[in-house]
Amino acid sequence: MTSIPNSIHPVQLYLYSHDITSPPFPIKLFISKPKAVYQPRNENEILEILNYARDNRLNVIPRGAGTSGYGGVLPYSPYNSIIIDFFRMKEFEIDEKQKILIAEPGVVWWDVERELNKVGLSLRVYPTSAPASTIAGWISAGGYGVGSLRYGGIAENVERLRIADFSGVRETEDIHLFSGLHGTTGIITKAWIKLKEYEEYNAVAFHVSIDEAVKLVENWKNYIYSAFFLSSEYITAKNQVFRDDVQYEVPEKDTLVIVGMENGKQLLNLSNLKIGNPQLGEHLWDLRFYSMRVKRLGPTLIISEVILPYNSIPEYVKKMKKMGAMIEIWFNKNNVTSLSFFLADERKVGYTLAWRKSIKAMKLAYSLGGKAYSTGLYLAHHSPKVIEEYYELLNYKKKIDPLNLLNYGKVFPKGRLPTLMKIAELIS
Amino acid sequence: MRDDTLFKELEKEIFICAQCNFCRICPVYYEEGWESSSPRGRIYLLKGILKREIKFEEIEGIVQDFFKCTTCGICEVVCQTSIPLIEIWEKAREVFVKRKGPLKAHERIRNSALKNGNPYGEELNKRDEWFKQLSENFEIKKAELVYFAGCTASYRMNEIAKSVVSILNKAGVDFSYAGRDEYCCGSPFLRTGQRDLAIEFFKKNYREWRKRGVKKILTSCSGCFRTIKKDYPVIAKELGYAWNFEVIHVSQLLLELINEKKLKVRKKKLKATYHDPCHLGRHMGIYEEPRRVLELSGIELIEMEDNKERSLCCGAGGGVKSQFKDLAMKIGKKRVAQAENIGVKMIISSCPFCKLHLKQASEGKLEVIDLVELIDKFS
Repeated sequence: MTSIPNSIHPVQLYLYSHDITSPPFPIKLFISKPKAVYQPRNENEILEILNYARDNRLNVIPRGAGTSGYGGVLPYSPYNSIIIDFFRMKEFEIDEKQKILIAEPGVVWWDVERELNKVGLSLRVYPTSAPASTIAGWISAGGYGVGSLRYGGIAENVERLRIADFSGVRETEDIHLFSGLHGTTGIITKAWIKLKEYEEYNAVAFHVSIDEAVKLVENWKNYIYSAFFLSSEYITAKNQVFRDDVQYEVPEKDTLVIVGMENGKQLLNLSNLKIGNPQLGEHLWDLRFYSMRVKRLGPTLIISEVILPYNSIPEYVKKMKKMGAMIEIWFNKNNVTSLSFFLADERKVGYTLAWRKSIKAMKLAYSLGGKAYSTGLYLAHHSPKVIEEYYELLNYKKKIDPLNLLNYGKVFPKGRLPTLMKIAELIS
Repeated sequence: MRDDTLFKELEKEIFICAQCNFCRICPVYYEEGWESSSPRGRIYLLKGILKREIKFEEIEGIVQDFFKCTTCGICEVVCQTSIPLIEIWEKAREVFVKRKGPLKAHERIRNSALKNGNPYGEELNKRDEWFKQLSENFEIKKAELVYFAGCTASYRMNEIAKSVVSILNKAGVDFSYAGRDEYCCGSPFLRTGQRDLAIEFFKKNYREWRKRGVKKILTSCSGCFRTIKKDYPVIAKELGYAWNFEVIHVSQLLLELINEKKLKVRKKKLKATYHDPCHLGRHMGIYEEPRRVLELSGIELIEMEDNKERSLCCGAGGGVKSQFKDLAMKIGKKRVAQAENIGVKMIISSCPFCKLHLKQASEGKLEVIDLVELIDKFS
């Protein structure tokens, strides 16, 4: 084990004990530091770490870029854990003929896209955290991203996985056993991802209400690659914080951005149905990775991320606007991902109470037929509602991880945090 | 206490960080791989200190990672929340130095500079030797323009300083040169948390410029340019000094002279790439002037994969070359490889320190030359 790059420096461990959230005080009580951070260079070293963890009864937390907000990569207190950081496993190859990417877990999505484009290929889907997030990170967290309107969620775009657990390594096409499960059922050591031909996209913006936006996307969804909606409140906030070098001030209106194909010209034809703004569309498309820029106004941002059916979105958006949320919605094939942003200040006493907004937003989504976007640690108690085959997966987990060491307490609720979260939901 | 004030100044920006990790393209993090050496990790460390979750005593053994940053500024370019990261790195380093003292190599350059006015340990009275070696015996006159050669060109990369003087002469530009009365601009100390020494050098240089009636300062070093144009006015304000000097980089002057036909350049057929010095490009926004000069000289410019705002650092800046030689060399070699990948045999830069480092990193595989040297040859 000593030959595997690792750190036990207390400050280094501190730096690996967070994700993008700033949890309030009561939740922080459940977050500790790992015993060590390991950076394996290959599959054998991952197996070595797993054996060590089993022998020493340590929880194993796989960590990509730590850019999720569900606590999936956090050391859960008071249980002893070690973190596996895949920084040193970022090799990838492109099978141009089969249009498949074969990548190690630590490969960053946007590094891949850059190389793919050179050979005329492109990712079918990628997360809005693509400039930083890793292949295995997104697969493990699950969910939807850019391109999910045409190609579905990440799970639908993974052909095969290579998985390490306490019994060794194997390859599988049962993606559902791993995607969205935060490493609780095995460690991804390699992934085969479906690709597509590279296409030049153009983006057009429309100033429409959320009702109209939903109708337009439903009508056009077979022709377009991606679509997202930004609330006027969100645009107003963004305008306040854009750098001086961004010349373009976006009109502060509810805005839908449709991203299509240039070569097919479908988008231009469709645009005639409604007056669109290509310049604004391109501008907003270029900024698609920068959804958290409004954090400058916080300095803390509380985010609620939910999945909703198409027909519930207008009501959800209207109610969230009344709650003072800034909203960004990404349209997927059969549902949407809605992100609601609330400004807060974690340095202030009332910060814990501010988190109620996030819980309220989630409860509203459930009341409208929606659900939480992911589970991780914070929402592990939601897993039976969020994950379709939850009980089948629970049985699988028990079989391959009888000691429950693979990311303990994530997805499959354990410990006291789920009770605390349930109480918080009751009183919110 | 100043360090508490400094941290207070930075507090809001530190809390604004979204921890999105877009800054993972940091060349140092790419080589090192630990959160402590990533911009995001450094911010989180500062946040931990501010929240009193990390004590100063605990950072022993990890604080050196904070000094591995070359202050190249690419983290600022990609920062999702537009945090002025370079300012944070420098101010935080100042606090760390106050608490823990400078790193060994940084202390060494400090001692050299205190004694001789330069970080290279060279004697002050040899600073102007390059000038004396010029074939033509230039008379140092009182002029509105002063050429500030800087330490690297004065002691290590003389050819750059000589080329500047040659070009000024060819174009008939009157200039002054402070010779042994020129001191380090202070850049190495500003970048390594030793601002007090930079202030002392500011005072010495300022006094000399005032004495000579200088109105305009010309630099050929990107680090000096950044320091004199951006940092000196701030220091002047703090000290209550008037600041009304115009500061230009030689790439800007070259373009001006060529455009005004004061400098005639013979067009040469040559294929080369241009390396943007971080202190000239990202820090000061000068990307086009050197490229335009090359274009007017008939040079076929082939861009490396990372260029302009996204340019890869040479690896030497921010005190990294002196304290973390291997790390600096790894980054330098990566930059050289980018040039090799596009099939050029020559890297042109516009900073003596970049030239020095890339030349060492290329190990003779590529020719590394400064823009001003090249134009001097062609004019």
